[in-house]
Amino acid sequence: MNTVLKCNKMTMKFGGLTAVNEFSVEIPEKEIFGLIGPNGAGKTTVFNMITGNLQPTSGMIYFYDKPIVGLKPYQVVSLGMARTFQNIRLFTNLSVLENVLTGFHHKLKYNLLDTILRLPRFSKNEKIMTEMAMDLLESVNLQDKANHKASELPYGDRRKVEIARALATGPKMLLLDEPAAGMNPQETMSLMYFIEEIRDKFDLTILLIEHDMKFVMSLCKTIAVLDHGVKIAEGKPEEVQKNPDVIRAYLGDINA
Amino acid sequence: MKRNQILTILSIILLFLFLWYANNNLSAYYIRILNNTAIFLMLAASYNLINGVTGQFSLEPNGFTAIGAYTAAILTLTPAQKEAMFIISPMVPWLQNLHMSFFPALIVAGIVTAIVGFLLGFPVFRVRGDYLAIVTLGFGLTIRVVSNNTISITNGPLGLKGIENYTNLWWTWGFAVVTLIIIMRLINSEFGRAMKAVRDDEDAAIAMGINTFKIKMIAFVTSAFFEGVAGGLLAHLITTISPTLFTFFLTFNLLIIIVIGGLGSMTGTAIATILVVWGSEILRFVEQPMHIFNFTIPGIPGMRMVIFSILLIVIMIFAREGIMGQKEFSWDSLFKLFKTKKVANK
Repeated sequence: MNTVLKCNKMTMKFGGLTAVNEFSVEIPEKEIFGLIGPNGAGKTTVFNMITGNLQPTSGMIYFYDKPIVGLKPYQVVSLGMARTFQNIRLFTNLSVLENVLTGFHHKLKYNLLDTILRLPRFSKNEKIMTEMAMDLLESVNLQDKANHKASELPYGDRRKVEIARALATGPKMLLLDEPAAGMNPQETMSLMYFIEEIRDKFDLTILLIEHDMKFVMSLCKTIAVLDHGVKIAEGKPEEVQKNPDVIRAYLGDINA
Repeated sequence: MKRNQILTILSIILLFLFLWYANNNLSAYYIRILNNTAIFLMLAASYNLINGVTGQFSLEPNGFTAIGAYTAAILTLTPAQKEAMFIISPMVPWLQNLHMSFFPALIVAGIVTAIVGFLLGFPVFRVRGDYLAIVTLGFGLTIRVVSNNTISITNGPLGLKGIENYTNLWWTWGFAVVTLIIIMRLINSEFGRAMKAVRDDEDAAIAMGINTFKIKMIAFVTSAFFEGVAGGLLAHLITTISPTLFTFFLTFNLLIIIVIGGLGSMTGTAIATILVVWGSEILRFVEQPMHIFNFTIPGIPGMRMVIFSILLIVIMIFAREGIMGQKEFSWDSLFKLFKTKKVANK
């Protein structure tokens, strides 16, 4: 099995504070990998380092054996890594369709001259992109709302648009930051099936951060636990659940 | 699709028929205002591209307009005129002998301004939000100081006089229409979507693989080009330019226009340009001495600016979206409007 993502002793220091300390992980292809930990453990910082939003203070990150430390976020995206945000960040004034279309930006096949002169290459590619975006919206069941403004959608639909938008970038790996946050149990259940479904349909490797333990435990094959920037456990869900370090991190020391 | 194109071409033909009529029948005063309207339309539309569509609050148009005006004027003035005009210190020789006809001079003015915009973009787009506004405001002031002091290029505070009055309705409206078409085409493409994405959420845009620096640069350089051309047109309309012409008030006027029209809407910009340019002509009376009953109010120059400032504040508080919000006029929506009215009548 191929390793998709490999982090080697990744460290992030903000001034005197070490947010993430020597975090190492290897994620194989097509796995759904969970990253959990108490609030402020450094999970989102790990995400930001992998996607290039933050440059790690030290350590290496490999994506399909290619080092990606030092690349700009848009360059990381063009290598095949897409993400969603903890607090959904859609382009609120754009329509649902336009939101998804922005995902194709990095492989745009026409240039400014084609745009200004409306050359055949422009209309041809706009048509292809629109069709592809509609297909993606169909796979998240939102094709009827394509022309709605993103800000008009209910919460659950917005999450789906955000995932569809991430899928439009043509990722090999998808990073989901708390996808189930703010969802009710039914929505969470359907999201779980949905994530498995897109994993199989688009051949994705998925790394997700989540607080909903039931969600993580039933969806992820492997889980890593982060506490105060340090990885304290990694393994199958049932192993992690029983790990005394993990219990201590979440519930505090019983003997203290 | 086809129908809409025909309608667009028809309305452009109608516009130019009106201009032909205006050119032959209206007084010089009205023709002047029509010219001003077109130049302000160009300036406001390109300003809205960077400010409203891309959401980068910048305050540079007066600087760019100055660069375009000076470049075009220097190029169309004859070597003999320049020799006679530069009395403090002679012009640098290579500029002294450079001479072009009107159209190429305008294009060069646009290109020079675009290059300046490109170079300015590197430091400017390292900062966001309020800082961007302050840096670009500083740029506008710098241009004024530079044009005051590079006497062997700009003739300093004396300015440039005797610029040939080449600008007429055909040039101004021709360029205004071309500007609007190009900007609209840019907006209705993946580049435009990316610009709006940068405006709505820059970090999310980066995460979608958009090179936001490049996108901001495209918007900035495009608007610099058209502001430069508009500056050239302005110089050949008023025939005398000096550093004091391009103050922050120009930028402020444009800001009022794009806010009234709706940040991000070119239709709104067009409507607001007409309202503000003609409105400020109509409001000229407030700067004249007024007699109300037995009181005499002396004429206060700048009263119009006060009125527009109050208007801006009122809009910011009560109607932040402006006239059009971010919506654009389209033939389809017009037809839809008629259809729903018909249905309602039945």
